[in-house]
Amino acid sequence: MAVPGHHSESTTASLIKATSLCMVLAMSSFLPAQTTAALPNAPTPTNTVLAANEPPSPAFSSSADIDLAQQAATPPLNTRQQTPSTSTPSLSDLGLTPAQTKPDPDLQARLDRRTHMLKVHQELGLYTVIPIVAACISGAGATPSRNNYTSTASRDAHVGIAALGIGMYGATAYYAIRAPRVPDGPVRGGIKLHKYLIWIHAPGMILTPILGTMAFNDIANGHKPGGIEQYHSAVALTTAIAYGASIIAVSWPIHLHL
Amino acid sequence: MKIPRLLVLLLLAVPAFAQSNQTWVLDQSTLTYHMSHPLHEVDGVSHAARGKGICQALQCNFLLAVPVKSFDSGDTNRDLHMLQVTRGADFPIVTVRFRLLQSDINSPDFNCDLDVVFAGTTAHFTHVPFHQVIKGTSHHITGTVPSTLTDFKIDPPSFFTVPIKNEIPVRVDTTWHQQ
Repeated sequence: MAVPGHHSESTTASLIKATSLCMVLAMSSFLPAQTTAALPNAPTPTNTVLAANEPPSPAFSSSADIDLAQQAATPPLNTRQQTPSTSTPSLSDLGLTPAQTKPDPDLQARLDRRTHMLKVHQELGLYTVIPIVAACISGAGATPSRNNYTSTASRDAHVGIAALGIGMYGATAYYAIRAPRVPDGPVRGGIKLHKYLIWIHAPGMILTPILGTMAFNDIANGHKPGGIEQYHSAVALTTAIAYGASIIAVSWPIHLHL
Repeated sequence: MKIPRLLVLLLLAVPAFAQSNQTWVLDQSTLTYHMSHPLHEVDGVSHAARGKGICQALQCNFLLAVPVKSFDSGDTNRDLHMLQVTRGADFPIVTVRFRLLQSDINSPDFNCDLDVVFAGTTAHFTHVPFHQVIKGTSHHITGTVPSTLTDFKIDPPSFFTVPIKNEIPVRVDTTWHQQ
């Protein structure tokens, strides 16, 4: 015969044991679940750089590895002497979607190509200043002096230099036009004025040699340029100024620190 | 009768233990990188950072993330160039992880060790000083991360063939509150 009181006590003890076991199991399942959930999904780094005063740590294949490895392998620092935390926030905790954190190799390739082409555009554009300035200077001596229409040397030199300048300008423009477009909202900054000035120097670069050819033919035929070709030098000068302003505009504002 | 009461207390302790975590959320942020060139002094600003901190067992783990493309220097061309040199399409998010002792949470000045993942590279900055002003429930934290291009293996971009300076300090201005 079982004693009722004793039966009740053993049942309660069993209940406590079972509850404790459930709690331990619940806690043990709760903690790893949180650790797993806390694994970050940051962009995958290709290598790891440490500050000079830090000891090297193993290379990581992903930022998830970084966190786990840092918790396990990073030497303890003054703020890391506590027990390793089981709860670290992840990118998804911040509300960042996988689409926002996903790498876009196509965009990177477009950006790389764009930068390369615009670098060439920039350097060619700077070198183009030389023949343009030289053409402006040589143009001053290209007009027939004292009604001497027979000497063509100065005019030929001017035509040669101007042709070089226009050719280089064309190549400079090509690299800007062919550079891949990357949408980035409305245009802001010095590049805005740089683009507006295209509407002055680009037509000028087409009109100047046309007027120059007409003026050249007038002089070769033994008479002073008249009609629209008499504005050749004015158009050329306006074009050169707009071109120079375009270079300054893309650099604006300038804070010299030499 | 005492044992069931103890049991109830134990059962109540489980949710109480679970609630002992503190969570911190980033309210506002201004991250500003500074770039120097013989012709230019440029600041690129982002207000798009998101952050969270979880405190457990006397230690707080914080994560701050900001899209690379959210930095605005006032010039579209420069921003796209920055995106290219930092490989911002391959690695669109900058993440900053740091730990704080819970006892430092209310300190006016504290130092942090930062793990910054940027441009596909992790750089570790030790003892970065931060200043904190607490107003009500908001914690306004400011500091400057002394980052350089070489920390992240970034080739210095150039303008008119002249490269920019290696130092790119990032000023951090954040406001956090406890959730």
